[in-house]
Amino acid sequence: MSVLLTGEQRKPFSGSQTAHWLLVAGLPLMVVAVGIAALGIGRYSVSPEQVYRILLATVLPIEPTWSETDARVVILSRGPRVLLSMLVGGGLALSGAVLQGVFRNPLVGPQILGVSSGAAFGGALAILFGLGWVFLVSGAMVCGILALVIVYAMSQVDGRAPILMLVLAGVVTSAFFTALVSVLTYVADPYSRLPAIVFWLMGSLATATYPKVVPAALPVLIGGGLILLLRWRLNILSLGEEEAAALGVRVQPLRWLLLVAVAAIVAGAVAVSGVVGWVGLVVPHLARMWVGPDHRVLLPVTLLLGAAYLTIIDTLARSLTPAEIPLGILTALVGAPVFFVLLRRTRGRGWVDA
Amino acid sequence: MMFRRLSCVLTLLTLLAACGGQPAADETAAPITAQATAITVTDQRGTTLTLDQPAERIVTIPIPAAALMMAVDGSAERLVGIHPSSAQAIEGGILGEIFPEARTIPRDVVSEGFAPNVESILALDPDVVVQWGNRGSDLIEPLENVGLNVVGLHYGTQEDLETWIALFGNMIGKPERTTRIIDWQHNSLAEIQMQAEMIADERPTILYFNRLREEMRVAGSDTYNDFYIQLVGGVNPAAEVTDFVTVNAEQVLAWNPDIILIGNFDEATPDDVYQNPLWQDMRAVVNQRVYKVPLGGYRWDPPNQESPLLWRWLAVLAFPEVYTFDLRADIRENYQLLYDYTPTDAQIDQILHIDLNREAAAYERFINR
Repeated sequence: MSVLLTGEQRKPFSGSQTAHWLLVAGLPLMVVAVGIAALGIGRYSVSPEQVYRILLATVLPIEPTWSETDARVVILSRGPRVLLSMLVGGGLALSGAVLQGVFRNPLVGPQILGVSSGAAFGGALAILFGLGWVFLVSGAMVCGILALVIVYAMSQVDGRAPILMLVLAGVVTSAFFTALVSVLTYVADPYSRLPAIVFWLMGSLATATYPKVVPAALPVLIGGGLILLLRWRLNILSLGEEEAAALGVRVQPLRWLLLVAVAAIVAGAVAVSGVVGWVGLVVPHLARMWVGPDHRVLLPVTLLLGAAYLTIIDTLARSLTPAEIPLGILTALVGAPVFFVLLRRTRGRGWVDA
Repeated sequence: MMFRRLSCVLTLLTLLAACGGQPAADETAAPITAQATAITVTDQRGTTLTLDQPAERIVTIPIPAAALMMAVDGSAERLVGIHPSSAQAIEGGILGEIFPEARTIPRDVVSEGFAPNVESILALDPDVVVQWGNRGSDLIEPLENVGLNVVGLHYGTQEDLETWIALFGNMIGKPERTTRIIDWQHNSLAEIQMQAEMIADERPTILYFNRLREEMRVAGSDTYNDFYIQLVGGVNPAAEVTDFVTVNAEQVLAWNPDIILIGNFDEATPDDVYQNPLWQDMRAVVNQRVYKVPLGGYRWDPPNQESPLLWRWLAVLAFPEVYTFDLRADIRENYQLLYDYTPTDAQIDQILHIDLNREAAAYERFINR
C-alpha cells in the first residue's frame, strides 16, 4: 500500500532544484496573475488598461475614464465569477488530494463519498420546486452533509470504519442519490424544469453573483484551513491505518474530521456551480508530479493550482464563443486525456495499488 | 422561403386530395360507408397510414400537439390521452376555460420524457397516436410494434406548423376548417411581409430569451423565434449562433438589444431584466422595451396555432408607428376561428400578460380603453 508514497519520492524535476522550488514559491503570484488576466477577458470588450484602472479604483481614488457599464462588467460580472472559480477549483482540488491521501488510493475524487451526488440531489430538488438560489444552495449543502452522515452510519463496524467499508458506503450512497436525481429528472416538466436541472447538473458558473460567493467561500476557507492545519497528520495517515496508530495518531477521529471538511467544501462547490468533475482527480495528480507526495507541500500547491486551473477553464468557457460552454464538459474534455496520459506515464512507478 | 412555402401548400393539396370523395362542406355528417371515407395520412417521417374513417380517439404526446388538435377540431372531444405537460398548460391557461372537458383528459401516456407508456395507451384504444417523428425510434417503435397507428411529427418551423395543421385536419376529416386556419396564417404572413418591406426606419435588434432565471438561453439563427423577429423587420443579435444556446449576462450586454422578449418556458418576468445591475445601461432597459411573451391557447413563443397573433403583437412593439393592428380585436376574431369562443377582456389581459407588461413602452396599445 505504501508504494503510493515511495513510488513518488523520486522528484520528477531532477534539474535545477532551486529554480524548481522558486517556481513553487511563485505559485501564489501566478494565481493572482491568472485572476487579473481573467478579469480582463470576456465577451464584452473592456480594454486591459481600463480593467487595470477599474481594479485600482476599487482601492485608490481615481478619476473614472471608463463607463459605468465597463466597471459593472469587471466588478459585478467577472469579479464574482473569478472568485467562485478560484474557490471551487481550489476547494475541489484540495478535497481530491485529501481523499487520495485518506483512502490511500490515487483514483478517488470528491465524488467517492457520495457528497457530490447528495448535494446534486438537494440542488435539483430546489430547482424542481422552482425555489430561488438560496434554497438551491442550502438544499445542496444540507443533502451533501446528509450523504456524509449516511456514509458514516453505514460504514461503522464495531465502532470504527475500515477503509473498505467507507468506500463501499460512499459508492452505495452515491448510487442512491444519483438514482434520486434521476427520479427528479423523471418527474420534472420536460419544457420548464428539466432543462434547468440538466444545465445546473452539467456544472456552470454563469450565474455567479457576490452573494453566491459566501456559501462557497465559508466551507472552502474553514474546511480548507482545517485541512491545511492537519496536513502533517495526513502524511502519517497516508502511511496506513496500523502504521499511523503505531505512531500515536488517533486514526478514526482524524479521518472523520478530514472527511467532514471535505464534505463541506464539496457541498459548497456543488451548491454554487453544479457538478464540476475531474478537477479533484486531475489537479492533485498534476501537483504530485510537480512537488511530490509530501502533503505539507502538496496540499497548498494543489489548492493554488486548482484555483488557477478552474479559473482558466472557466474563462475559456465564458469567452471562447457567444454560447457558454458547460464547465463540466470542458473539465472532462481536458481532464480525461490528461489523466490518461498521466496514468500511462506513471504506470511503471507503482502508483496503481500493488 | 417562398419555394418552401409553396411546396408546403402543395403537400397540403395532396393531403386534401387524399381525402377522396368526402364532401368537404359536410364535416359533421354522420359516418358514411368505410370506403367513401377512407383517409390516407402521410406523416412527416414519410410513413403513410390508412384510416377507415376520421380518427375519433386520438392520443397526443408532443406537448404543443394537444392544443393544436383542439384548435383544428374546434373541440377537445377526440383527445383521449395527452402529455402531462400539455394537461398542465391546459389547466393553467385559457384553454381549460374554453374547453372545460379538456381538464379531465387522461395524461398517463408517457413513462419518461416522451417515451410512450404503451400499455396505458393501448388501454385508451386510440385510432391514432401523435408522436415526435425525429427524436429516435425508441419513441415510435414500441407503439407500432403493438399495432397502433402512429403519426410522426417534426417541429420548429412555420412549414412544420402548417404541415401539422394540415395533417391533423386530414386525420379528423375537417379539411375546410383546416384550410381556413392555414389561409389565416398565410394571409397574416403576407400582410406583415408587405408592411415590413416598406419600413424605412432603422431596424431594432430583438433578443428572445427562451429561459432567463437559472440559465440564460437565447434563440439564435435557425429558430422559429429568429424567423418572426426577421418577419416583423427586426434583427436578431444572437443570429451569429445557431439554435438555442446558453449565454452569459456579459454577452447580452455586448449585443445590447433594443428589445428583449422573455419566453414562457420559465417564470422570469421583465423585472429580472430591469433589476440586473449589469444591464442598467442596456438600450432595452433604458427604453423600457422588455416584454413577457403572451400565453394564449398555447405559449406564443414557439410555433403554435395562434402564431399570427404573436407576429402582430411583436410587429406593433417593434414599430409602433408602422403597424396599426388592433390586437385585442384580432384576438377576439381569431379565437372565434380557432376555438369558436369569444374571450372576455379579463381573459385577453391575462393572455397579453398586461400585469407584467403594463409599464413597458408601446404596451398602452394593447390595454383596453
